[in-house]
Amino acid sequence: MKSVLFNMGYFLKEAYKTIRLNLLSNIFSFIGTVLILFIFALVITGWNVSNRLVLMLKEEAEISAYYEENLDEIDKDNLIGLIEEIDGVLEVNLVSQAEAYNRMENVLGNEAGILELFEENPFEEYIEIRIHLDETERVIDRIENIEGIEYVRDNREILNRIEGIVKTLNMAGYIVTAAVGITTIIIISHMIRQGIYENRFQINTLQLLGASNSFIGFPFLIAGLLMILCGGIIASVLTVIAINIGFGQLSGTIPFIPLPPKNELVKHVVVIIMTASIILGSGGSIFGLSSIKEDAER
Amino acid sequence: MIRIKGATLTYKDGTTALKDINLNIGAGELVYITGPSGSGKTSLLKLLMGVEYPSEGEVLVLGQKIAKEEKRRIRRLRRNIGPVFQDFRVIKGRTALENVMMGVRFLGFSPKKMKSESLNALEKVGLKHKYSSLVENLSWGECQRVAIARAIIRKPALILADEPTGNLDLDNAVSILELLSSLRDDKTSVLITTHATHLIDNQKDAVFIRINGGRITMEQGGRA
Ligand SMILES: Nc1ncnc2c1ncn2[C@@H]1O[C@H](COP(=O)(O)OP(=O)(O)OP(=O)(O)O)[C@@H](O)[C@H]1O
Ligand SMILES: [Mg+2]
Repeated sequence: MKSVLFNMGYFLKEAYKTIRLNLLSNIFSFIGTVLILFIFALVITGWNVSNRLVLMLKEEAEISAYYEENLDEIDKDNLIGLIEEIDGVLEVNLVSQAEAYNRMENVLGNEAGILELFEENPFEEYIEIRIHLDETERVIDRIENIEGIEYVRDNREILNRIEGIVKTLNMAGYIVTAAVGITTIIIISHMIRQGIYENRFQINTLQLLGASNSFIGFPFLIAGLLMILCGGIIASVLTVIAINIGFGQLSGTIPFIPLPPKNELVKHVVVIIMTASIILGSGGSIFGLSSIKEDAER
Repeated sequence: MIRIKGATLTYKDGTTALKDINLNIGAGELVYITGPSGSGKTSLLKLLMGVEYPSEGEVLVLGQKIAKEEKRRIRRLRRNIGPVFQDFRVIKGRTALENVMMGVRFLGFSPKKMKSESLNALEKVGLKHKYSSLVENLSWGECQRVAIARAIIRKPALILADEPTGNLDLDNAVSILELLSSLRDDKTSVLITTHATHLIDNQKDAVFIRINGGRITMEQGGRA
């Protein structure tokens, strides 16, 4: 322990020397690390955004119930009361014809002109019911059986499809994560192996003088960690820039997409990248260090 | 300090460099090992440092058995040995001072102590003025003295010097041999291999060992 503290300056100098020794090759390794970590960061960002989207869609799980035309106001009130009592129902609203028209106008945006082709409002009045997603089946069943309800429309199909897409995305995410992990470990450990190979005379001399392999390996560990931490920092900066650009573009073109708060997303991604850097850097270094041979050159 | 019983050293390629060696060296001895080129002097030192293991017989150094399964402990044993290699093994790209400090870096010296003791050691071998020179800019004899400084700075219990005067002029050779033999004290033994028999003839109190063809052909002297 004392040796480590007393020799910190030496270790850092040695680490710097190791990096300098194969400068060009190490620069390429470094660029590779940065790119890989950057891709990883983008995948995490995409993951975060899509998961949030699904969460929001799930929260918005709502069904529309249409009732028979001959009902009067009191009947409608009774109906709403009955629905509100069902377990799993969060909120019930009556959507008037005018409001239904307005909503569609909003959704269509620039294309809203086509609505003017209708002579009178083509939309029906309906009851909008926000429900608990997990209760969908049961709630729909109950509502369908209430007297006066003509039919129920739900968005289960859309939700299912989105979940399918998210599953595929998750799968791709896992694969990319695994690829990133393996590649980074290979790059870092190779870098260290090369450094150890180039320094074999010195390493062997230190062994002959009685230095432990941990003492001998420490500078290489520092070199590996230094490389990947710098790589992580640069990748993080690139990611922040990419997120800023992405947010600008998205909110311009698709305004209603529910993006997570930018600062939170950035913090989340940067923490993950730096943590991954430290873990992968240590892993790669330790792999690389295993190439220190016992009394290699006797 | 050193006990060798019936040790044989056979290299991987089948060369038998040492045959049935028996040797006992106590604490505080000065030992000169002579013998023609290729007789096995370096091989004997390699055995004592645990760089090679005896293929037969037993080798004990400072109480440590030399055997493959003792690797870790042999590594620690070496911290009590001051080795001067025949090919010096100084590290290029580093100054004389840095090379000497290499001998004690992992022994818990504070940076200040490490530096002052290294300069001391360089002074003893007459190289203090070259402390900041890169070793590749030093002459062979100077490199050899750096290697000697790196060995003695550790104040080891056993100094193993392989041809420490091989590249030195007469004056320097004499002073290096004087320096090394002066390191012998109650606790420190010094083993020196050399071709320079004319320089050691007058040494009193020393053990003289002659090796030929991997066998000890003569052993005489000692304090007893
Ligand atoms: N690593 C090795 N593998 C195979 N044979 C070796 C090895 N090292 C030394 N030898 C052989 O062992 C014998 C003894 O060699 P050693 O180096 O011990 O001699 P030496 O007495 O130190 O000679 P010199 O005075 O020239 O330094 C020689 O025949 C040499 O060729
Ligand atoms: Mg030799």
